[in-house]
Amino acid sequence: MSRVQSLATFALLLVVLIVVAFPFYWMVLSSFTPREALFQPPYRFFRLDFSLGNYRELLFATEFVRFFFNSLIAAVGAIVLNVIAATLAGYGLTRFAFAGKKPFAFGTLFSYMFPPMLMAIPLYILFSALQMRNTYTGLILAHMAISLPLNIWLMWQYFQIVPLSLEEAAWTSGASRLAALRQVCLPSARPGVLSVAIFSFALSWNDFTFAFILQTDRHMFTLPVGLASFVEQTGVHWGMVMAAAVLVSVPTFLLVFFLQRYLLSGLRATG
Amino acid sequence: MAFAVRLEHLDKRFGRGARAVHAVHDLSLDIGEREFFTFVGPSGCGKTTTLRMIAGLEAPTSGRIWFGDTDVTALPPQKRDIAMVFQDVALFPYMTVHDNIGYPLRIAGLPRTQVTEKVEKVAATLGLSDKLGQKPGQLSGGQQQRVAIGRAIIKEPKVLLMDEPLSALDARLRVEMRTEILRLHRELSATIVYVTHDQVEAMTMSTRVAVMDQGRTLQIDPPRVIFRRPADMTVATFIGTPAMNVIPVAVVTTPSGLAIELLGRRVPVAPRHHAALQGLERVEAGIRPQGLRLVPPGPDRITGRVFLREPLGLEDEVLVETADGTRVKAVTAAGDEFGEGAAVGLDLAPRDLCLFHPDSRITICNSLD
Repeated sequence: MSRVQSLATFALLLVVLIVVAFPFYWMVLSSFTPREALFQPPYRFFRLDFSLGNYRELLFATEFVRFFFNSLIAAVGAIVLNVIAATLAGYGLTRFAFAGKKPFAFGTLFSYMFPPMLMAIPLYILFSALQMRNTYTGLILAHMAISLPLNIWLMWQYFQIVPLSLEEAAWTSGASRLAALRQVCLPSARPGVLSVAIFSFALSWNDFTFAFILQTDRHMFTLPVGLASFVEQTGVHWGMVMAAAVLVSVPTFLLVFFLQRYLLSGLRATG
Repeated sequence: MAFAVRLEHLDKRFGRGARAVHAVHDLSLDIGEREFFTFVGPSGCGKTTTLRMIAGLEAPTSGRIWFGDTDVTALPPQKRDIAMVFQDVALFPYMTVHDNIGYPLRIAGLPRTQVTEKVEKVAATLGLSDKLGQKPGQLSGGQQQRVAIGRAIIKEPKVLLMDEPLSALDARLRVEMRTEILRLHRELSATIVYVTHDQVEAMTMSTRVAVMDQGRTLQIDPPRVIFRRPADMTVATFIGTPAMNVIPVAVVTTPSGLAIELLGRRVPVAPRHHAALQGLERVEAGIRPQGLRLVPPGPDRITGRVFLREPLGLEDEVLVETADGTRVKAVTAAGDEFGEGAAVGLDLAPRDLCLFHPDSRITICNSLD
């Protein structure tokens, strides 16, 4: 490649990088800018009037911590239940022959295509009847309804590449089916399990629709809904909203940062 | 004979209807205590299916399996006193060699120190002592297979099942591991049930061999008997290298009794076989390449021309084309006077000839004497 070409590529990448990264930069910058300075011209790209005021207000004057906690419970619950359910279902699909297996597998993927809103309203009626609105269980189940189909599909694919003879070796060594699954199959399908965990987290953490419709009690709001309520009720306190946005992205960032190695190897295994 | 494993009218079908595969036909046999019993046959003959049924990995369609006086037909593999070595080794890639070998004991709930103690002992007999900390991926093929064998023998199973354990290894290692497995069989007091498509493995290692083809068991006998007195033409041609020559011959009546017309030469059949040949005009005659001797051509001999000569070292394999165009294989001393293209005579002893029924392929006699 010639020097000009590589320079052009570099310039193009730089433009893309700026487009992608600038909102994040602006978010972080605004979150540290005092309220009164935020809308005072001139609007500069670099500011030095650093302040933790927005964060202080967010953490102590609002229910942010409560929302954060709710989101965390829902996300952790969704991760744990998704991993268990998707693992068992995926394993069952790979290792057992049963009537209607193919339709089940395709139905699973098909149900993933429904928009959340289409399911949220029936769920509202159902959960009202079961008195499961404004509960963590209800929210976690709702989140599983959108993430589990793809997760089952994912684990199904992963278990197909784990040789059956590994399990048979475990069985003839005396291991029960469940022990063989845990000790022999799962380690081989670890990238799949991590993909399931991350996908479940992302869907739960970012979900607005289900939380908005099912969690009507302000005490049970998750972050996306809670943040939206900031916008409506207190006028728009942009500095604080930006501070909240920063804190919301921290868990996502940490998760991806620490698991990217496994995620990438997982992508290679499926691709 | 006290038996370790008894198979009773074992039958296995895969699938249903028109596409069903009848993998094992009505198989009944006893495997003795401490026996080295081998199932041999071409791929798809049902030998691995049979082994998997003994292991409990496959359920028979009908029939029963006994371990001693326990009916294990309905028991899962975990509840049978077995261990198995797999064709593709099947080591757990995420565990060290130590953990792989010790896995059956850890499953059985033995304390860690005892597991380590036994693992070290097994590793020592298999020459793996310095590999215990490594992962299977870091080992050579032969070492991996040794680890798999270690994992199988550590819990001292009553029946050790081996499914083509050497087929993934190169020729040299295969011979080495053959000796190793024989040594283990002598040291352990286990019954070994072994599956292979390699007749040399079957013949050299086993106390008894079952030859299978297309789901049917053709013969169950010690290797020597299988070689000397094959039950039918399939067994005769499958066992032995190079393969037995089979030539269609006419049965003729001579003043001195019955004889066969073999490649232009008349070979008399001893009177004790006459009854079996009654009513047959044509039969198949078999002779092993080792039974044919190359001699100078002359009258009263089968004559032909050396078509191809393959040096094997001490001996050469020679393909001879006889006057009527039939090609037969013979084994002769390396570099004797009959080069390619040379005219040659073939000498044979009537006791080396065997006859098979042309339709049922069953052996009529294993010697014309």
